[in-house]
Amino acid sequence: MKTIQRFAYPIFFAVMAILPHVLDSRWQAVAITFLIFAVVALSQDIILGKSGMFNMGQALFFGLGAYTTAILNNEYGWSIIATIPLAILIPAVCGVLLAGPIVHLRGDYLLVTTIGFNIVFVQVVQNNLGGITGGPNGIFGLDSLSFYGIDLTSQVSVYYFAFAVLLLTLGIMRNLAGSKAGRAMHYLREDQLAAESIGINTRIYKIFAFALGAGIAGLAGTVFAVQYSAVSPEAFDFIQSVLFFSIVIVGGSSVPGVLIGVFVMFVLPEIFREFATWRFFIFGFAMIAAMILRPRGIIPATFGKIPKFLIKENNHGA
Amino acid sequence: MAHNELILTDVTKRFGGLTAVDALSFKVSAGQIYGIIGPNGAGKTTVFNCITGIYKSEQGSVKWRGEEIRGLTPYQIVDRGIVRTFQTIRLFSQMSVAENVMSGRHIKSKQKLWHGIVHSPWSKRDELANWHKVEEQLDFFNLSEFAAIPTGSLPYGIQRRVEMARAMAVDPTLLILDEPAAGLNDKETMELLQTIFKIRDKGVTVLLIEHDMDMVMEVTDYLTVINFGKKIAEGTPEAIQKDPAVIEAYLGSEDDDDE
Ligand SMILES: Nc1ncnc2c1ncn2[C@@H]1O[C@H](COP(=O)(O)OP(=O)(O)O)[C@@H](O)[C@H]1O
Ligand SMILES: [Mg+2]
Repeated sequence: MKTIQRFAYPIFFAVMAILPHVLDSRWQAVAITFLIFAVVALSQDIILGKSGMFNMGQALFFGLGAYTTAILNNEYGWSIIATIPLAILIPAVCGVLLAGPIVHLRGDYLLVTTIGFNIVFVQVVQNNLGGITGGPNGIFGLDSLSFYGIDLTSQVSVYYFAFAVLLLTLGIMRNLAGSKAGRAMHYLREDQLAAESIGINTRIYKIFAFALGAGIAGLAGTVFAVQYSAVSPEAFDFIQSVLFFSIVIVGGSSVPGVLIGVFVMFVLPEIFREFATWRFFIFGFAMIAAMILRPRGIIPATFGKIPKFLIKENNHGA
Repeated sequence: MAHNELILTDVTKRFGGLTAVDALSFKVSAGQIYGIIGPNGAGKTTVFNCITGIYKSEQGSVKWRGEEIRGLTPYQIVDRGIVRTFQTIRLFSQMSVAENVMSGRHIKSKQKLWHGIVHSPWSKRDELANWHKVEEQLDFFNLSEFAAIPTGSLPYGIQRRVEMARAMAVDPTLLILDEPAAGLNDKETMELLQTIFKIRDKGVTVLLIEHDMDMVMEVTDYLTVINFGKKIAEGTPEAIQKDPAVIEAYLGSEDDDDE
């Protein structure tokens, strides 16, 4: 497994780096969609997989980021790049505000509450609250990407923007795994009482997980808004949250598992067009089968790394 | 002198109609190995839960170094140098032995939340320094060879050692052990005794619950005996062994079983 991973990542990154040059424009769009949803699914993994909190509202944070970019661009004329800080910050702050009162809830209650948040969000944007969300049609005609006057309109540019966001996300997740904060999330997921009894203020790390997951999802929202030059409410519906939730669980909360899940859910239907209308049906069955056959996910997460000097000669494991 | 003393005064904890701990008072002094004994269901674990913030006693006071710690949360109490183990081992079972012990370094690590997103040279040094502390504990508890193994797959005796190593990684002032010998064989119990003495020699005060009378008599300096949540005796192991009330309530019941 370790050796596979050593080769798999460089190959994956290399393939992803040259991909847009071998694809036609339709498949480039599919690849961008894959990258965006991979980032959202990974952001959900921080909350659900790493920290064990049953968040069923990840599409809300994704949508908040997308709408932040769309509104600032469309209403206030900010360039897309300039909207990025707020498209991360607003969802992150909302993550803190929404999570604050609910993170102490047991899994099932937390789940229902986050569904509620997601539904309220979609209702708000649909009903054009404040007159800036564009109602059921959403907001369209956004500017394309440009950076210091360099025009990045082409789909290949958008692809690399999305790819950069995925790399950033993977980098953050790697840093998280080797930090006090990241380990605290694992500990509280495994046994909250034991974590508190060893000195961890679990509440802080739960809220931090929400903030971080929300911020990353928000950034993915910006990429989404750029790809379609538009945002609309149904893209952030609660059913999308269900998909992200399922992808993390079925994938097994590991990076390869989550990427496979996103691929199966969002890319396979494009490859088999006739399969497209059946995708929920088939994915539903795939979820059921995966959970029965591999209850800990297709590729179960391995926890944080320990330094090499701790692994002694006469080791039984690893 | 309020130095490293734990003083319980009239601590009472009720569950519905049941008074699990009834106006219990005792004092643990620095450097002691202090034992709490009593029959099953006497309220020993509940007392520990009241000290470590898992429960808040309805009445009484729990003073540590002169500070009232009753009502503090478990992590606040750890921050004040009191760490515990559980009667029913509570490890992070999918995680490796080393990661479990590393959890004890959590409060010692000065890393901020944002170091979870971006590392700095300083945070990397902090990380490494704490892993070296983990290495020390693994050596001390003879766990080095298991460092990378998930704790859930290890035998009971080793799991108990991991739990103690995790607690010791905090560098506690007071270590609280809830039936550390439960489930151990004779050889493991002997090793545990040596470990407890070594921990005390490091300057750590030890408060333990034990069921195994032989072990308690051997390891503790001072004892409190409780039954139905109430203290029925206290003293040195020699004095306790001769105390008629203890023999009646606790040792006596064992004789009954033998007859
Ligand atoms: N969380 C709880 N809820 C209700 N009753 C409890 C709880 N914890 C302990 N008790 C009761 O309190 C009494 C003391 O239990 P405990 O402290 O675990 O005893 P010991 O550790 O001495 O065996 C028992 O009668 C037990 O059933
Ligand atoms: Mg007990």
